Amino acid sequence: MSNPLKCSVCDAVATVHLTQIVQGKVTKVDFCEACAAKGGAGDAAVFKLADAVNAVTPAPAITCPQCGFTDVEFRRRGRLGCPSCWQVFGVALGGLLTKVQHEIQHVGRAPAGTVPVGQLRHRLLAAQQELTAAIAAEDYETAAKLRDEVARIATQLDTL
Amino acid sequence: MSVQEILADENELTHLLGAQQAVVLSTRVRLARNLEGFPFPGWAKPAHRKEIAERCIEALTQLPRFRKSHVFKMGDLPDLDRAVLVERHLVSKELASGKSGAAVISRDQTCSVMVNEEDHLRIQVVKAGWHLRGTWNIAEQLDDAIGATLGIAFSDQLGFLTACPTNVGTGLRASAMVHLPGLCLAGHIEKVTRALSQDGLAVRGWLGEGTEAAGNIFQISNQQTLGLSEDAILRHLGGWVKTLVDQEWNARRKVAQEEGERFVDRLSRSLGLLRHARLLTSAESMNMLSHLRLACDMGCLPEERRHVVDRLMIEGQPAHVQARQGAELDSDGRDRRRATAVREALRDFPEVGSPTA
Repeated sequence: MSNPLKCSVCDAVATVHLTQIVQGKVTKVDFCEACAAKGGAGDAAVFKLADAVNAVTPAPAITCPQCGFTDVEFRRRGRLGCPSCWQVFGVALGGLLTKVQHEIQHVGRAPAGTVPVGQLRHRLLAAQQELTAAIAAEDYETAAKLRDEVARIATQLDTL
Repeated sequence: MSVQEILADENELTHLLGAQQAVVLSTRVRLARNLEGFPFPGWAKPAHRKEIAERCIEALTQLPRFRKSHVFKMGDLPDLDRAVLVERHLVSKELASGKSGAAVISRDQTCSVMVNEEDHLRIQVVKAGWHLRGTWNIAEQLDDAIGATLGIAFSDQLGFLTACPTNVGTGLRASAMVHLPGLCLAGHIEKVTRALSQDGLAVRGWLGEGTEAAGNIFQISNQQTLGLSEDAILRHLGGWVKTLVDQEWNARRKVAQEEGERFVDRLSRSLGLLRHARLLTSAESMNMLSHLRLACDMGCLPEERRHVVDRLMIEGQPAHVQARQGAELDSDGRDRRRATAVREALRDFPEVGSPTA
């Protein structure tokens, strides 16, 4: 037996099926009873709901091979499907991340037992800047300490 | 395990004398974490969610901090019990409204981990008063302990991977629950809220997102989670909370000085009303209790009474009132029960005096 059609709004089993032909273009939409009822009492209201669903549900352009999540779902929910989605949708999310987070590189902690690469890279950059400033200020004692720190972090990152 | 035990057990937010502080009611740190190789709860099939819950609960209950912990599966709890946990900030509304979520709560109610909320794990640590570093240290230890037993989803570029882009990176949300009657009375609260928002901090009401600031209580938290180290996030919040505490004290002293006898009259009326009312709505009691907390902070009432006020604020919430009664109550019934509890707790309160702080 084939899978029952799902409601275009809520994923429940669809029992109301609409086929619209407008200027030769055929569109099909399926609703569960509840969503069809929510659309209004008459056919006109249900057709209006069908139009709305068709207008906002374009075909997915990207699908996560791991969990089947799509870019269309992301636009609908604002949440991703699984950790792998971050890699799959990475490029598409770049702009959004800059908008909500202002940054795109993690510089904090890492899980227990792993090297916090982001944190080290961040510290390396900061230490290099502090080193330049210390040399300019002729504070050679601090500069020597910072030089050692820069060398230590660089070696640590090289061995990864 | 029952929610009644949560209500009966003394904990530092409601009972511990000396843990409470003026202005900052509590400090909270939350870390969002997810298991590698599993879909996020919002996209996972029921079988996956069940497996995630089992794995997480098993790992969490092995940790020393969760020895003899409370484990609540949302699907097994009556509505009222879930509402109590939400009012106590031990679980979120989102977790309570679903059936597949669970919460593991430490005996002392300081640490709680929500399982299958928006992320697989939401680690939360709460301390009474302002203890940002202490609270963070506990969260960090818990995070390490959890990470040592469960494979956590992480990328070098994006940090801890979360369901929502607003949490990715550190997954850290640090917050302070602050009581700002002075800034509210002085009419400066909107200006302050705007300044905080412009500098990347979110300002919310008592029960978090989308709630009103009942009792002049606000929750201040960081918004950015990526591109800043945990230390930088904590320092940023810490700096603002310090400024806010200073500004609140300035506003309180200014209002007290300008209003003189009227200031004491205002606080005294609130005590009188709370001590004699037969019906008290939640909003009314919160606003009057806010005055009593202010009185305790400013030396108009003994400081050691502050924890009673804090307890009444928490226990006066609708689900708490009904859970104490052991039955569902209509609106009048809740208002009557709330008024009785408040009246009894304040019976031996002394009169409100002039400010000394």
